[in-house]
Amino acid sequence: MAASESTIDTSDMIVCRDVHKWYGNFHALRGVTTTVRKREVVVVVGPSGSGKSTFIRTINRLEEHQRGDIIVDGIELSNDVRNIDAIRRDVGMVFQSFNLFPHLTAMDNITLAPMKVRKLPARQAKEIAEQLLERVGIAEQADKYPGQLSGGQQQRVAIARALAMQPKIMLFDEPTSALDPEMIKEVLDVMRELAESGMTMVVVSHEIGFTREVADRVLMFDHGQIIEESTTEEFFDNPKEDRTKLFLSQILA
Amino acid sequence: MTSAMDTPPGVALPPPITERGGVGWAYANLFSNWYNTVLTFIFAALLGLALWFGLSWIVLEADWKVIATLGGRLIIGQYNTEFACPGQNCFWRPQASLLLVSVLLGMAWAVSGDKAARRIAIGVAAVTVAFAFLPYSMDQMGLDVRLLLAANVPAVAAGWVLARYTPLGTVRWMVILGVLFFLVILVLIGGVPGVPGLQPVSTIYWGGLMLNLLLAVTGITLSLPIGIALALGRRSSLPLVKLLCVVFIEVMRGMPLITLLFMSQVLVPLAFPQDFSTNSLFRAGIILTLFSSAYMAENIRGGLQALHPGQVEAARALGLAGWQTTLLISLPQAIRNVIPAIVGQFISLFKDTLLVYIIGMLDVVEFSRAFIQGNAEYLASARELFLFLALVFWIFTYTMSYVSRRVEVHLRVGQR
Repeated sequence: MAASESTIDTSDMIVCRDVHKWYGNFHALRGVTTTVRKREVVVVVGPSGSGKSTFIRTINRLEEHQRGDIIVDGIELSNDVRNIDAIRRDVGMVFQSFNLFPHLTAMDNITLAPMKVRKLPARQAKEIAEQLLERVGIAEQADKYPGQLSGGQQQRVAIARALAMQPKIMLFDEPTSALDPEMIKEVLDVMRELAESGMTMVVVSHEIGFTREVADRVLMFDHGQIIEESTTEEFFDNPKEDRTKLFLSQILA
Repeated sequence: MTSAMDTPPGVALPPPITERGGVGWAYANLFSNWYNTVLTFIFAALLGLALWFGLSWIVLEADWKVIATLGGRLIIGQYNTEFACPGQNCFWRPQASLLLVSVLLGMAWAVSGDKAARRIAIGVAAVTVAFAFLPYSMDQMGLDVRLLLAANVPAVAAGWVLARYTPLGTVRWMVILGVLFFLVILVLIGGVPGVPGLQPVSTIYWGGLMLNLLLAVTGITLSLPIGIALALGRRSSLPLVKLLCVVFIEVMRGMPLITLLFMSQVLVPLAFPQDFSTNSLFRAGIILTLFSSAYMAENIRGGLQALHPGQVEAARALGLAGWQTTLLISLPQAIRNVIPAIVGQFISLFKDTLLVYIIGMLDVVEFSRAFIQGNAEYLASARELFLFLALVFWIFTYTMSYVSRRVEVHLRVGQR
């Protein structure tokens, strides 16, 4: 696809430099700097209110940052609507509350954006959707409405919907937090398979098993900052910060 | 205690008798304790008395002759009088309009496949054909009038066949044909200068139920899109657009419809050419539409505000543009959620059409009132006439509410 581009820069899929974000007077992100490389799986952890969801939502401009730079796949996020649209086409997002469109069937949820944004013919969009539903293991549910599906099935449709745009990056904002324990595994299995296929992923999650197994790196957020950033083994086996140790002791307990 | 122990594990038992069937229902709802039982008997007695006196008045005392006397004039008012339509019989023009409506009803039946559409189409066909062959009609109506009435049956059938066996059987074509037929109906009733058989009939003479229905259909079809535009405008991030929409909505909602109709003589000429402004029908249509649009806008805005913000976020995250998100995600859900309020506004608009008497139009109620006042022999029959009109209005409004419930059932397939 992008074969002619030069080596080092293009392998940096997401570059954040000193990103700040305020909600009114509340300073939600306080100078976040990090880089996510191609095919990397990065898991973001941290206590609630630490800014991890805000951070992931600035990457596709669902939240606007007020200071610093965010460069996604070589395009800088600014107020230029064309840039925002271009980035959103290439960045898929999966939400905690699924956010499927309840008035459309699973199939129509998936084919909508490819047809309306990428302008694919209906037939081709449908083929892609069928393949994706197969991939996430619910091909037989194509004609059901979200309200007729279980939480785990809905989240898998939501993943398929994001993948249908053939994104280069996938963002997951606590994808399993709203699910019953029995359904968490089916969603994590899909995400695991996606990571193995080489997708660049940023995941906000508290699933320790998944993180240990799949993540290349872990970012620890606290008070709007990355307080620790290390490889997965190091993060779990040899955390440096006291706050990280405390956090790990709480979620591993 | 023993019964619980006798029950084998994992076997679902039927509910107790008090929870089932007619006996269970009566027990739970009518006789669950002593004061409910007393209330049940009191209300049963009141209901019985009301039915007894009501029915005996309807059957024995009431004199329904006034309705037979007025006959078709209730439907078209003064449209077919010598002043309106000199030297000609213009009755066929509203009748032909009804045939077009029947074609659409037949199409709606085939396209929707719903029992409500079927019942309405068959109902209209049955009522018209029944009127064509009533002893009263044989006596009072010409053969042409009765044939045109009976033609509603083949018209419904033609619409059904058209939708079933040609490419016209889609919702999109129905909307296009609906608008087209509406314009044809306006031309049919209004007439075209110089065309024999279609001589112009001044809108002063448009009246009766036909006038109410024309105003209601115009208002309903226009106020929904205008209301949607106003609702979106009120939520716009452009301050000027927002301000204009807020001012329009609040002014329209803040004034009584009667006042607006009065003021239309002053207001409408500000925006439209003189020829239109002096036309009462045009003024009434504008005012009713705009008045209803303001309420519609607030209904739709309520639906938009009830949407989970995650819906818009998900759409934007997929790369859909703002207008695509509004058209494909927000509005369809918002409108579905406020269908009861929208149809409530439609019903209210239909009933408000009889206020056009304020600017001198003879809608069905005003026409009836004028008739009774002008014909002393029918003064005593006012009660019968207005009860009949109430029933007619009720049939139309109940049909609207019935259709809306069916639409809701269809749109909520699989939704929680």
